[in-house]
Amino acid sequence: MKRILLAGEGGQGVQSIAEILARAANEQGKETTYIPNFGVEQRGGVSLAYLQIDEKPIGYPKFAEADIIIAMCNRAIEAIKKFVQDETLFIYDSSFIADDKIKTLHGLVKKYLNIPAKQIAQKELSIKVANILFLGVLAHELGNLTSEQIKIAMNNQFKSHPEFKEMNEKAFDIGLNYAKERPNQEFIGSQPTEIQKLFEDETKAWERFPEYCKGCGLCLISCPQKAITFSDELNFLGTNLPKVDLNKCIACGNCQKICPDGAIKVTKKQ
Amino acid sequence: MNNLPKSWKKESLPHKFCPGCGQALALKILGYAIDELGIQDKAVYGTDIGCSLLSWNMFDVDTIQTHHGRATPTMVGLKHAKKEAIAIAFMGDGGGYAIGAQHLINTCLRDDKITVILINNANYAMTGGQTAPTTLIGQKSTTAPKGRKIEVFGRPIHGPEMLKTIAADGAYIARTVSNDFETTLTYIKKALQNQIDGRGFSFVEVLSMCPVNWKKNAQESIEFLEEMKKVYPLGEIKTPEGEK
Repeated sequence: MKRILLAGEGGQGVQSIAEILARAANEQGKETTYIPNFGVEQRGGVSLAYLQIDEKPIGYPKFAEADIIIAMCNRAIEAIKKFVQDETLFIYDSSFIADDKIKTLHGLVKKYLNIPAKQIAQKELSIKVANILFLGVLAHELGNLTSEQIKIAMNNQFKSHPEFKEMNEKAFDIGLNYAKERPNQEFIGSQPTEIQKLFEDETKAWERFPEYCKGCGLCLISCPQKAITFSDELNFLGTNLPKVDLNKCIACGNCQKICPDGAIKVTKKQ
Repeated sequence: MNNLPKSWKKESLPHKFCPGCGQALALKILGYAIDELGIQDKAVYGTDIGCSLLSWNMFDVDTIQTHHGRATPTMVGLKHAKKEAIAIAFMGDGGGYAIGAQHLINTCLRDDKITVILINNANYAMTGGQTAPTTLIGQKSTTAPKGRKIEVFGRPIHGPEMLKTIAADGAYIARTVSNDFETTLTYIKKALQNQIDGRGFSFVEVLSMCPVNWKKNAQESIEFLEEMKKVYPLGEIKTPEGEK
């Protein structure tokens, strides 16, 4: 019996990998349940997936304690806290979730595996396949499902996008090998890279808030000087943050006015 | 100016709207309007069902969430019970022009002294982009995959123009667009001031982008707003008598 809880921001691909695993397990003759759980939002918000894989029939699709928990974003931590028990393996994205955050759970969580999935995906392949890295990690941790079977289910899931097949398979292997090389009993931990918030010179300051920004891109097109572009750094949703070229910026404040999330602040200095 | 309105509730940030949502932008401007008029203590915010309900914890003011355009009559009731309150009903085109249209029309007829802010994003956004009364002719939606046809769905509704024909002398009716910060702020402040002065019903329709359901990026959704402006002309449709 494996009870797996996956949690992330809506759009990170939590439900996709849960569905892939459920289908792969079902194909291998296991008893499987999968139930998604998310809010009323069309985009964003914490998205949970309850997945159970067993040899015996399963009574109820939800559970109170999880054997494996995957946390892909900071906001998920609150939602998954109560599912932790002594034997829970806690897998998290260390490019998003800081040590400090995990330490608040320290009394609860005994087994860790951290993978900087966003960073690896961004560096090696594409940010879009970060969830597939977790699928690879899970494939290793579950053990009783063959990688081939999961890959077949994965390719079926994304069969409308054959252009991603190769990238998905690569990402899966990276995740699988990462989990093989890392012992999951010890707490390794790493800090997410510090994100520069304030850009300033003598005449102006331009501040961005990664905790509010959703990466819509309205600031880019509102800028009369074309001073704003997307950077490689990520906001809380895992999409790109804007950055400013201070040499071009005239501190008109258009970007601040158009931002629906209040994620930009422009100040003119006297 | 701060990046967030003072009247927004910081604890509930980031808010629940999609990336690039025009409704969130309109709510940000409403927040600044509440700040500038200094009515945070007196304002009561009524929100409707649909995407507008995602703002249930957005403001640090008394808030009530209702269904199907009934933010309007709920706010009317509140205003009758508590004259000093500033009643703000906020809804989408589905709540205001379709399922709850009778509430809006009768409130305007009775000239109840409340402020209604209505978001027009040319579709039913929360349910996944179906044809709404405001969908443009030829615009594709999930219930009109080949584009809206007049024979099937009729013509797009022009709410402010319709309300103007039945509005009393003191009513204020305007239409604006969410990416025009200054004008929208001016109109919303005027609408709230109309209520504060006790002149009459006030109504602001805000054209707004919905990049997720329109399946457009930021640039394309601003371009589509330009298309919408051709169908829905902007401006102050009716100003109270005696005011220029």
